[in-house]
Amino acid sequence: MSDKHIVSGFDRDLAAIETSVAQIGAMARDALRDAITACLERDRDLAAQVKTGDHALDRLEADTRLATIKLIALRAPSAVDLRFVLAVLEICAHLERCGDYAKNIAKRSTELGPHAQLAGTDRALLRMSQSVGQMLGDALAAFLDRDVDKARAVIASDLETDHSYNSLFRGLLTYMMEDPRNITAGMHLHFVAKHLERIGDRATGIAEQVIYLVTGELPDDDRPKADLTTPPAPSAG
Amino acid sequence: MYDAPNPATNVDQQDIKITAKGVQVYYGETHAIKDVDVNIVDRAVTSFIGPSGCGKSTFLRCLNRMNDTIDICRVEGDIRIDGDDIYDKRVDPVQLRAKVGMVFQKPNPFPKSIYDNVAYGPRIHGLAKNKADLDVIVERALRRGAIWDEVKDRLDAPGTGLSGGQQQRLCIARAVATEPEVLLMDEPCSALDPIATAQVEELIDELRRDYTVVIVTHSMQQAARVSQKTAFFHLGDLVEYGETDQIFTNPKDERTERYVTGRIG
Amino acid sequence: MSDTTPEYRGAGHHGGTMDTVRKGLAKRKRKQMILQGFGIAAIGFALTVLFILLASLFSTGYQAFTQTHVELDVFVDPQEIPEENLPRGGFRDVLSDSLGQYFPESDMTDRAEARVLSSILSNGAQFTLRDMIVEDPSLIGQTISLKVATSDPYDQLNKGLIDRDTPEDFRRLKDEEIQNFDTLSELGLISKPLNTGLLTNADSRFPELAGLKGALVGSFWVLLTCFVISFPLGIGAAIYLEEFAPKNKVSDFIEVNINNLAAVPSVVFGLLALAVFIGWFGMPRSAPFVGGLTLALMTMPTIIIATRASLKAVPPSIREAALGVGASKHQVVFQHVLPLAMPGILTGTIIGLAQALGETAPLLLIGMNAFITSAASSPFDSATALPTQIFIWADSPERGFVSRTSAAILVLLGFLITMNAIAIFLRQRFQRKW
Repeated sequence: MSDKHIVSGFDRDLAAIETSVAQIGAMARDALRDAITACLERDRDLAAQVKTGDHALDRLEADTRLATIKLIALRAPSAVDLRFVLAVLEICAHLERCGDYAKNIAKRSTELGPHAQLAGTDRALLRMSQSVGQMLGDALAAFLDRDVDKARAVIASDLETDHSYNSLFRGLLTYMMEDPRNITAGMHLHFVAKHLERIGDRATGIAEQVIYLVTGELPDDDRPKADLTTPPAPSAG
Repeated sequence: MYDAPNPATNVDQQDIKITAKGVQVYYGETHAIKDVDVNIVDRAVTSFIGPSGCGKSTFLRCLNRMNDTIDICRVEGDIRIDGDDIYDKRVDPVQLRAKVGMVFQKPNPFPKSIYDNVAYGPRIHGLAKNKADLDVIVERALRRGAIWDEVKDRLDAPGTGLSGGQQQRLCIARAVATEPEVLLMDEPCSALDPIATAQVEELIDELRRDYTVVIVTHSMQQAARVSQKTAFFHLGDLVEYGETDQIFTNPKDERTERYVTGRIG
Repeated sequence: MSDTTPEYRGAGHHGGTMDTVRKGLAKRKRKQMILQGFGIAAIGFALTVLFILLASLFSTGYQAFTQTHVELDVFVDPQEIPEENLPRGGFRDVLSDSLGQYFPESDMTDRAEARVLSSILSNGAQFTLRDMIVEDPSLIGQTISLKVATSDPYDQLNKGLIDRDTPEDFRRLKDEEIQNFDTLSELGLISKPLNTGLLTNADSRFPELAGLKGALVGSFWVLLTCFVISFPLGIGAAIYLEEFAPKNKVSDFIEVNINNLAAVPSVVFGLLALAVFIGWFGMPRSAPFVGGLTLALMTMPTIIIATRASLKAVPPSIREAALGVGASKHQVVFQHVLPLAMPGILTGTIIGLAQALGETAPLLLIGMNAFITSAASSPFDSATALPTQIFIWADSPERGFVSRTSAAILVLLGFLITMNAIAIFLRQRFQRKW
């Protein structure tokens, strides 16, 4: 990609799209950070801000999608350019979903409201959100740098997110079994954890698109998974 | 793209350079162009697309009265450049063609030197007072044609010795040497390989800053790549005229849709 | 997918096709061979005829490129040739006297014997001597060495064209005359140098003196006139018809007529010239100018057709390019189309002129077959041209003219080949470069 196209307008269009993707990514990361803060600190204003921020993110995502479609229509990209625009479309979708998850997390801050805090989960959630945010950031950096190794690292680190989610799930389950009054808060916090885990998956998806963009091959689907809460869950019943 | 408005998408605010109203062209008994109305914007690339024989080239040739050279060709209607009727009795086509340059399908440099090719137009129109003037004009035109660097050391070499793509850029340089305001291009890349085509397209994109460019092309992709406005001709009718990205992503007319998707020839 | 049988049948069918093709192949090859055979035979026939023509021309004509000369020591007797009487004088007697010195036993006072002896020398020998002495009167009284042509019969004898075994009665030279020639030959006075006179002399009644100078100069004037008239007129007409004339019935009619004109027999042009140029306008007979005019009429259609073809061959893209930058119609034609068409036009013109060079009938009709012994100094003097000269010589009874006719034909062919070579050269040299 370091080589210029003979038609410089093509380069300008591609660069503009890439910048937009970076911008959406930054917005998604900010939304995630703010949402967790709003959630843990019951900050309704911040939560509202996250919600409005998501509109902006959605708009930008739609614009980028349109620009990508236009580029396909007008410039007939091929090879690496084609993989780029296809990857961008996927990445946009992932980021848009990340934004939605963040919005959803922010929404729960109002629901959590007066409930007593469940000891320890806050810190676990915060740590999990930080590592997921890091994954998202790394995935975007891998995209901007066309860095396959970094992308592979992101995919590998999803395992850790799954582990964090598992332990949070067990912890929340314990709290809820101890005292039924914890169930409402527990359920909400569980959803927050689940959303974070999903964001991690999205970051992994982005990383996969980076690998596709650079190598032209989609990574196999047998990446390590450690989400033990789904079907063969030990004590879900 | 979002903070800096792309000039490609904002042609609406620009001035209209050429207006055509109710243009009819007849070749003998054949009605080649049927009542075409079109407004061509200044400093933008407008492309005419359509299947062979749809009249796009014929219409292009109305804009600099190249059709005058064909005995059986008859043009009716009103075509104005900057508000002046170019088919007015008082307009000399020779003068018009200095203002409306043309680049042809096949690169057609004169079998003369590169310098003489470019200098020919300025010479016959008397644009240069002396040799030094002419040198300046030739260099400027060759730079505009994005070929100066390749030929500056061999201006005396024959223009026909250049590669196809270079020849076409030389022809573009020759066309801009007379300081035209409008550049008409009749399938300028159809005889070129993809690399030369890309170079010419890049050049067209640059020329857009100074000229009103109208290009006829068989390649829909080329129209998509280089133009901001696209007009689709079919059987002598102007079927649809609009922003290029709209024509190629969401055409309004069914015939346009079928053409750009490769469903009618 | 579900049924592989059609595919299998397809393969079988394919094999059948190949068989059919193979059967037809032999037939097609045979046809091709026959066609090729015909072509080779035709070319072979043409080459054979050409070879026979050239061979016969050379075999009869080569003799004319040499000329038998005799070298004499001539005492320019001041009594026979007094300086004050020049250019008159007894040149013939001086020559026969000097000839006599090689035949001591013969009596030069016997006029009959002297005449037999002098017949060895060409009739022109005395004029050669006269011209020398008029040029330099101080030669009178001196003995000079003079190399003069022998007369035609002795030339024939020297070239082996007179068979000594033929009975004396059927021979052009009697035994005595042959004896005289042999005497000179034994003295080493007979030589056979290159016959430069063939090109530098004008026509003459005596074959040994006759040359082509008059015809060459005449042909030159004819061609010059023809070129000067037909070239600009032909090109002008062609440019107008091709570039400017409206395409309608009238121009179609003109075109058809020009093409017809090119096919009109040349003798018709000759009759026309006789009636119009000489009859009405009172132009001189036998003048190269009139010949040139006549041939110009004939050449013009050729030039017009060649020019139009060359103009048509200039690609339209060049015209469009010039029009596109704002050249006017006449600029397009004169600055772009015409220069590019020029090689073709010149080729056509040269071929037209070569035709004109070989044209005979119209020149005969306007009297360019007159007997003229000096070269024309202007296109209005009487003259012959190469083909008419050939005609005249071919018609002459003297034996010496037979080989000269062939030699003249070879000279004419040489010029034609040269002109065509120039045409080919021009075509190659200025091959279209777009």
